[in-house]
Amino acid sequence: MGSEPRSAAAHRSVDVLASKLRRRQIVGSRATALETLLVLRQVIAKARFANLEQLVEIIRGVGRRLVDAQPKEHSVGNTVRKVLHHIREEHHAATQGTNVAAKPTSFSISKFVLQGQPRKHAAPQKSSESKGTLRENDPDDPDSFARGLKPVLMEAIQDVLDELETVYDNISKNAKDHIHSDEIILTLGMSKTVEAFLKSAAHARNYSVIVAETAPSYDGREMAKSLSTAGISTFLVPDSSIFSLMSRVNKVILGAHVILANGGMFAVSGSLMAATAAREHSTPVVVCAGQFKLTPLWNLYHEYGALDFGNPTDVLGFENGDLVDKVDVVNPYYDYVQPELIVAYITNDGDHPPSSIYRLLKETYDDEDNEL
Amino acid sequence: MPVPTMVDPEPSVGNTAPSQQAAKKVMTKAERRELQEKQRAAKAALKQSQPQPGKPNQPQQPKQQQQQQGGGQAKPKPPQTPQKKTFLTESTAAKQDRAAKEAAAEEAAAIQSHGLRIFSHFGQPKPIGHTVKGDIHPTIIRLGLLFSEFKICGANARCIATLTAFKQVIQDYTTPAQNTISRHLMTHISPQITHLVSARPMSVSMGNAIRELKLEISAIDIDMVEQDAKDALCTKIDNYIRDRIIIADQVIQELAGKKIKDGDVVLTYAKSSVVQKVLLQAQEDGKKFSVVVVDSKPLLEGKSLLRSLTSGANSIPCTYALLPALPSLLTEATMVLVGAHALYSNGAVYSRAGTAMVAMMAKMHSVPVVVCCETYKFSEGVMVDGFSKNELVPLSITQRNSSPKDIAPTQNLERLNPLYDLTPPRYITAVVTEVGLIPPSSISSIPLALGKTSM
Repeated sequence: MGSEPRSAAAHRSVDVLASKLRRRQIVGSRATALETLLVLRQVIAKARFANLEQLVEIIRGVGRRLVDAQPKEHSVGNTVRKVLHHIREEHHAATQGTNVAAKPTSFSISKFVLQGQPRKHAAPQKSSESKGTLRENDPDDPDSFARGLKPVLMEAIQDVLDELETVYDNISKNAKDHIHSDEIILTLGMSKTVEAFLKSAAHARNYSVIVAETAPSYDGREMAKSLSTAGISTFLVPDSSIFSLMSRVNKVILGAHVILANGGMFAVSGSLMAATAAREHSTPVVVCAGQFKLTPLWNLYHEYGALDFGNPTDVLGFENGDLVDKVDVVNPYYDYVQPELIVAYITNDGDHPPSSIYRLLKETYDDEDNEL
Repeated sequence: MPVPTMVDPEPSVGNTAPSQQAAKKVMTKAERRELQEKQRAAKAALKQSQPQPGKPNQPQQPKQQQQQQGGGQAKPKPPQTPQKKTFLTESTAAKQDRAAKEAAAEEAAAIQSHGLRIFSHFGQPKPIGHTVKGDIHPTIIRLGLLFSEFKICGANARCIATLTAFKQVIQDYTTPAQNTISRHLMTHISPQITHLVSARPMSVSMGNAIRELKLEISAIDIDMVEQDAKDALCTKIDNYIRDRIIIADQVIQELAGKKIKDGDVVLTYAKSSVVQKVLLQAQEDGKKFSVVVVDSKPLLEGKSLLRSLTSGANSIPCTYALLPALPSLLTEATMVLVGAHALYSNGAVYSRAGTAMVAMMAKMHSVPVVVCCETYKFSEGVMVDGFSKNELVPLSITQRNSSPKDIAPTQNLERLNPLYDLTPPRYITAVVTEVGLIPPSSISSIPLALGKTSM
């Protein structure tokens, strides 16, 4: 029955995405999340399964392949986890019927302590007694379970997709509460989220932005260009001047690559220095990021930000040919920024201090999916 | 040329028009050409000097004017600024003066138009083709160009170059009749200094050296033969360069070299001539260590340090990275060795932009930060913020070593390239000077160590 879990077409789309990820043809957390979601939708649409476990296993298998292809794009794994979470929730709703309505209200601190996480109590009985119209492992009609569940699953994936598509709007809807008139904001690199946030704030406030160029990609130039065309008074500075300008900066707004379970984050290299300089000047550091960047992982690498290195040509090109063969050139992609340096995360799911990120994680993903 | 503002007095246009017409008649072809040339030069200078709001429509204005003048039909245009027309009756010097004033006024307007007065004290970087005013010695003019083009860069290099140029100036100087060298030489040297400052703001090292030079000039015996006095001054200058810079550097090399041990990883930022000497000396002494060169815009001077460290017969193992990669590299470093532009008596070190960040991160990682600095860079007074006094690198310099995708300033987009920053004393472990290794808290005692009896 479940011997051939995926059809050939779905298989191919997974392969295509995996190789694109490996070759870094798709980069950026939102782009990878979107692509992953589209592939998962295809996989689920074509999948044949007779019970929940089989479906979960299929999706996990796809997730594992994609994550292995590019372990540094954490939003791939996050998207898979999120979809799994939604699948369980939908299945639970379909099988438990009315019981589910009472669930959210039953969450309390005491139960939280007793049960570890709010959803745990529902999990054990999940597949044991199937109620309602859904029947798992029906020997007469093995596809009946899939037929019954697929429409709701598609809906659930559509919800995730909608969330991803509106993530910038939702993050920036409260921008004017965070940026006030005549403030000077410092940001670095090119983050679409931060860009949307700053532009949204510019509708209501008149403020200035200092953009650090962020070597070696010099993405800050693109950011500065985009912000200045939106009518924001923008100053483009080299990374070296962050410290001397920090005394006049009111707020540092950064983008994130990944938000980790301890409240720290991986962000474009340079972020750690800006955040440290900000703390030295007691300037608040605010991070704008979509919820899909929340990752149930801890920083395993510490100082060497995520052990991911970029092309050394950007740092020392072949125009300096006499140096190239004598010198080691280092170009790390990311910095690990400790939670102590960050004041708040602004997400599409509300604003949170780094200390409550773990709780968001518990609500967003299921514990059993932390390892795909 | 200033963008027309609301306060532009409309009547004055009417006033100037007749005088202009009158002037037109007496203007010869050569004069006209000269005027056009002048305007073109002013235009070019403005173009270089600043990113302007409303810039795109500016270049047409002078052209229109030229056509008008050429055709001889002086029709006053209301939006045209009245000052421009009065040019015709003014002398050449006055015109230059006016153009300079206009440029200054426009600079101020440009800064205010961004609504950020906090950046206004930086001023705008000067255009490189600056004018020569007064009796300036050719060596000084040459030096001015080298300074403004950043061909001579770094506190030591600039100080040595300045003093050497002044030796030439002093030798070529003759005291006019009824004057003494000790009185008149000063008035001859002052415009030279002004010229150098107009090319690039004076470094603290130059300021100290020039103060010393002035002191020596004023101390010249009136009865001395002129040539003897000039020779004596030149010897004094030579001694200053030798004692305060060359020998000082050798002592620093020795003192800092002792701190480098086998197996060390020395991290340095940008390029300091002293640090370079220290590293090369340590290498020559047979120490086995490696160097991490961290670099950043605006000048990317680290590449030149890298070149000199790796070019020798047995090159030092080097790692090169840009400033954002610093946190990843600091875990390996055992010492941070940086140079300085100036020392302030509160222990703060004024140095190349980015040094403060390197020192801060090193402090976070418990890596000792050692600053190499000669005592002649000591500056009385305190400095608490690198923002309050700084110098901007002109765009033409930063764009020279930049990838082609560098973007040009526009109405809302301004580029700021501060050259220096201030490292607070709390990040600094020790300052290596020729009078020994001192903690930053004791920097204020440097004058005492040099034999000054009172603060």
